[in-house]
Amino acid sequence: MSDLDKAIAQLRACRPIPEAQVRELCHKARELLIEEGNVVTVAAPVTICGDIHGQFHDLMELFRVGGDPPDTNYLFMGDFVDRGFYSLESFLLLLCLKVRYPDRMTLIRGNHESRQITTVYGFYDECVRKYGSANVWRYCCDVFDYLALGAIVLGASNTLSPPNEHISSEDYADADIEIEVCNADGDIMSRFQRRDNEQRSPNGAAAAAAGSKTGPPGSGASGSSGGSSGNPTGAVLCVHGGLSPLIDTVDKIRLLDRKQEVPHEGAMCDLLWSDPDEIDGWGLSPRGAGFLLGLILSRNDLSLIARAHQLVMEGFKEMFDASIVTVWSAPNYCYRCGNVAAVLELSEGGGGESILARSNGDVGRSDGGMRGVMMESEGAPKNGPARRYRVFQAAPQDSRGMPAKKPVADYFL
Amino acid sequence: MAAAQPQVPHPSTDRKRVKVYELRNNDWFDRGTGFCTAGWHPIEDSQREPRVIVESEDQPERVLLETRICKEDGFHKQQETLIVWTEPSNGVDMALSFQEAEGCTMIWRFIHSVQQQFNPGAAAGDDTLSDDLAMDMHNSVALPEAALGNLTIIEDSMRALSTTAASRDALTKFVLNEGYILKLIPLVEQAEDFESLNDLHRLCNIMKTVILLNDTSIIEHAVSDECVIGVVGALEYDPDFPSHKANHRQWLKDSGRYKEVVRIEDASILRKVHQTYRLLYLKDVVLARILDDNTFSVLNSLIFFNQVDIVQHIQANQAFLGELFDIFKTQGQDSRRKKEAVLFIQQCCSIAKNLQPPARQTLYNNFISHGLLQVINFGLRHNDVAVRVGATDILVSMIDHDPQMIRRTIYHQIQEKQPPLTDSLIDLLLIEVDLGVKSQISDALKVLLDQGPPSQPEVYAKANGEHAVRLQPRMPTADPQQEQFLDLFYDRSAVKLFQPLIQLKDRATMDFTVQQASMFTYLIEILCFFIRQHHHRSKFFVLNNDIVKRVGQLLVCREKYLKLVAIRFLRQLIGLQDEFYVKHISEKKVIGPILEVLVQTMPRDNLLSSACLEFFEHIKKENIKELMKYLVENHRDQLQKLAYVEIFRDIILKYDQTRGFSVSLDYFMEAEDDVRRKRPNVNPRTGGPMEYVTMDPAEEEYWNTSDDEDEQQAKVGSRTVSANGMSPGTKLVDYGSDEDGDDHVEAGALSAEDEGRLAPDKMDEEMSKSGEVAPPERLSEKRRREEDEEEDLGKLIQHKRRNSSSTSANSSNSPVFIRKGKNGAMRRDSGGGGGPKKIAITLGSSIKAGNGQTNSKSEDEA
Repeated sequence: MSDLDKAIAQLRACRPIPEAQVRELCHKARELLIEEGNVVTVAAPVTICGDIHGQFHDLMELFRVGGDPPDTNYLFMGDFVDRGFYSLESFLLLLCLKVRYPDRMTLIRGNHESRQITTVYGFYDECVRKYGSANVWRYCCDVFDYLALGAIVLGASNTLSPPNEHISSEDYADADIEIEVCNADGDIMSRFQRRDNEQRSPNGAAAAAAGSKTGPPGSGASGSSGGSSGNPTGAVLCVHGGLSPLIDTVDKIRLLDRKQEVPHEGAMCDLLWSDPDEIDGWGLSPRGAGFLLGLILSRNDLSLIARAHQLVMEGFKEMFDASIVTVWSAPNYCYRCGNVAAVLELSEGGGGESILARSNGDVGRSDGGMRGVMMESEGAPKNGPARRYRVFQAAPQDSRGMPAKKPVADYFL
Repeated sequence: MAAAQPQVPHPSTDRKRVKVYELRNNDWFDRGTGFCTAGWHPIEDSQREPRVIVESEDQPERVLLETRICKEDGFHKQQETLIVWTEPSNGVDMALSFQEAEGCTMIWRFIHSVQQQFNPGAAAGDDTLSDDLAMDMHNSVALPEAALGNLTIIEDSMRALSTTAASRDALTKFVLNEGYILKLIPLVEQAEDFESLNDLHRLCNIMKTVILLNDTSIIEHAVSDECVIGVVGALEYDPDFPSHKANHRQWLKDSGRYKEVVRIEDASILRKVHQTYRLLYLKDVVLARILDDNTFSVLNSLIFFNQVDIVQHIQANQAFLGELFDIFKTQGQDSRRKKEAVLFIQQCCSIAKNLQPPARQTLYNNFISHGLLQVINFGLRHNDVAVRVGATDILVSMIDHDPQMIRRTIYHQIQEKQPPLTDSLIDLLLIEVDLGVKSQISDALKVLLDQGPPSQPEVYAKANGEHAVRLQPRMPTADPQQEQFLDLFYDRSAVKLFQPLIQLKDRATMDFTVQQASMFTYLIEILCFFIRQHHHRSKFFVLNNDIVKRVGQLLVCREKYLKLVAIRFLRQLIGLQDEFYVKHISEKKVIGPILEVLVQTMPRDNLLSSACLEFFEHIKKENIKELMKYLVENHRDQLQKLAYVEIFRDIILKYDQTRGFSVSLDYFMEAEDDVRRKRPNVNPRTGGPMEYVTMDPAEEEYWNTSDDEDEQQAKVGSRTVSANGMSPGTKLVDYGSDEDGDDHVEAGALSAEDEGRLAPDKMDEEMSKSGEVAPPERLSEKRRREEDEEEDLGKLIQHKRRNSSSTSANSSNSPVFIRKGKNGAMRRDSGGGGGPKKIAITLGSSIKAGNGQTNSKSEDEA
């Protein structure tokens, strides 16, 4: 067993690894992350996760529900630390897994991966408490600066594969399912069929999914015309917060020198902080930090934007004609919010052509603008990829110890 | 409720002297001292509502606090003189600290009576019941005798009683008066003897209920010596975790946890020390999961006021301080005690961070007068890393509190011809192996050598964000002492500090150990900071020691992160918009190596290539022609290799274009300096032989062209808000980058578009700059925004943001305008540029604008 595997085992048991090992790990992670672009390209299938916030036992529950790494390809959209009592263990475990299985684990930066925020919301205190000095916090913050700002998922299919082994894939061959919601055991809670092109999975579907979780949305439009199954869909952009008015093409993200503390303004800040607006199109975010750009989808050949950052009680929430989805993966947030969590699964495209080895640079670089114009004249926006949400609750109380902070060992005053 | 008003005991009109506190960033902020009144205040329609008002003591006209007592407030009385609550309108925790217990009681009586009306208890459901009567009824609350057999009844009745405010109050009284906690405690051991898990779970629930009654006296009682072990013992058996048992008793019983460096004689203070530790333990460990906000704030304020008392006691206790600092004066012996003394002081300082600045100041003053600096000196050189960490922590917390205080000491040292503290820090930085200590020392150096806010307006926004917490705006006056200090620093110390960098000169290979590599990271970061802060001094230093060349050497090292550091350094230099540095960089030929890094990295998309691209994008965007010229003339081949990237294609094009036109030099100069560049006030041309920038004829022509374009643009774009096409939002959608594939083939049509983009980018920089001016505010904004996603707070901040964007963007107050600006600019481009392709694009955009998919706001443009 290598040191790294030992460290993973130890962290899985929720025991921190020694400081020297953290330093080592962070150095390795830095070497690795420096090679990643600001927007990492990830090939489907992938399971996209939202905020974790140091809820270690719930992260274990997430792995139970979503599949263990490296068997499942994971993409975490930031906010690993703060709030929960096990930020350190959660982040270090994810980082270990990243170093161990670099191609099966993608970590992007959230607004809490920042020096300023972590000193206020708990990660700093936790490190000092657990190691007696802030060194580990410094190592981790160093790694934060190297984390990618976003990811692009390519080759996601617009059909689903069965959620568990009890259901045969034939059931899925004919049904043109766009959204499927499963519980923690993989049982299907609800399904939404793909609608025709003029009205692709409109807010109604999202509202129904978020609200009652029962039955398909009202209209029950026919699924047959919604684009032939197996066709590649547009790419899925994953960022922690949202978009920025300073960034109209994904390529612009590439021109940021991301190795820095999260700034207070500008494109990088917006990517990590902004929220989709309630008003369609351009507008000020209700939380003030950024803008939403729905148009960006077509310009960049995107079919969906996945983001985290905001607590949604149902674990996920689709907005703006299902062009943006918020994924939240910290159940019972802060150990008392009473929300459920979710991860978003995108399955692999059936046809070989969907897995194009596109570099990030191709997306929206040379043809994005033109295609945007053409697409609009054709009036045919990209189909969203088929999405399976696995909803799960906080880890059962028995599976973990009592969550608590580590007490300060000695005191003088 | 109006009917109930007459029953309210008439509030005293006596004015009670009181301090108003507000919880900001976990720190009780003193809003001032004033006089408190509480009563029914008339509002419209002859209605009246209960209010608590504090008028300032100094300015009687000023109202320090006006709060409505409403249902959600959750006022609590703590100790004898404190009332705390959470303001429902904004969620801020507030506290009133009364001078006299009597005053507190009177105000509290009023608040309490109002609250009782809002939350009529089970028995007090009848509005007409008088307050006193209601109280009597609740006073009659009685629980069965504390015995194992009664636990079910006790648990149930407690749960029932804790649902309403009035009955909670009665229950609180009962628990206190009967000493109920003490009666419950023996039951824990009994139940353990019987191994009755059910009883233990019930006891745990009962104890939780008692603590969550949120009463200060109960909590103080619960953490007292006689109770605490029993209380946490009961809480070890949490029914939520039936298969677990915590070991709180074992933890708290371990008396070795308290390290006594110097005996605290005052028994009450000593008790508070222990109590505070238990409260922290209760808050962080025992109750961490179940704490509601009210109990959390009760615990926090108990801890806070204890800590205030403890620190007050210590700093005023000369005998204690004498003994404490004497530990360091004895030679040699007992290094363990010295270590603990350092850690003791460290803890003192970290507690002091929560105190009000004046209290902190007295503490530090007292520490310093007893010889704190010697202690730091001792600690920094200690071979135990924990002591070094402690000493740097102490130093940093003092610097955070007031750097001027430390600077004064340093001036003093200089006058006494002693080696200044900064020199010791430099020595340490160069040899320190612990990265944490190292980074703290480097931060400390930066702050100590900080001259105040940069007089140069163009701050490199990114790099600055990193230190925004510490670099709060300071007194802008140039302190002669500080000047002298800086002179001395650059005379002697700077060379020492940056020695490793300077020594790179004689180094053939760039292979570094991890330690060395991290050393360069810190040094260059410090240097970046100095360059921003100390203009002419650092400039001279950089020039004299050929620093740019040295940093350039790092571009070929193996470590990518070190390459990044070097690129960022150079990026900052060009970001300063200082012609001196631009000239210097091109003379030192360091851009070639950056290009080389990029050539080697491309087409891979990684951090290194992004940093390089950003570097060249900046050159292009800011139109730093000196560098573009240098690039094309010396590295044309490489640029051509990279021409599949728009930036480099543009740079070559820009260069090539400038060969075809001709116009007078003067016009160009004017255009450059006044209209476009908005150079910083610091005149870079005072510098020496390289002051005069020779004009390349091609450049003149280039600039001239753009002026023509400008005029055209101004005409076409006259209906947009800002002249000259500089609508700040132009960048929002940068059509140029999308269309260049087709358009840039026609070189002639190009410049207009590029020009149009240029200026707005600069505006953007200014926008970010204006945000830069007040980093602390920004930060708090961010933090607050985080505060549990509160909607109204969000709105508040949104306002702020709106304001800031409207002021900085001067011509655009709304997204609508930004949008317009975008389209306007685009169309202007087409008007100015003219070619057939352009027209096609215009059509495209019209289609876009007309299309329902697009934002409808753009329709008025189309």
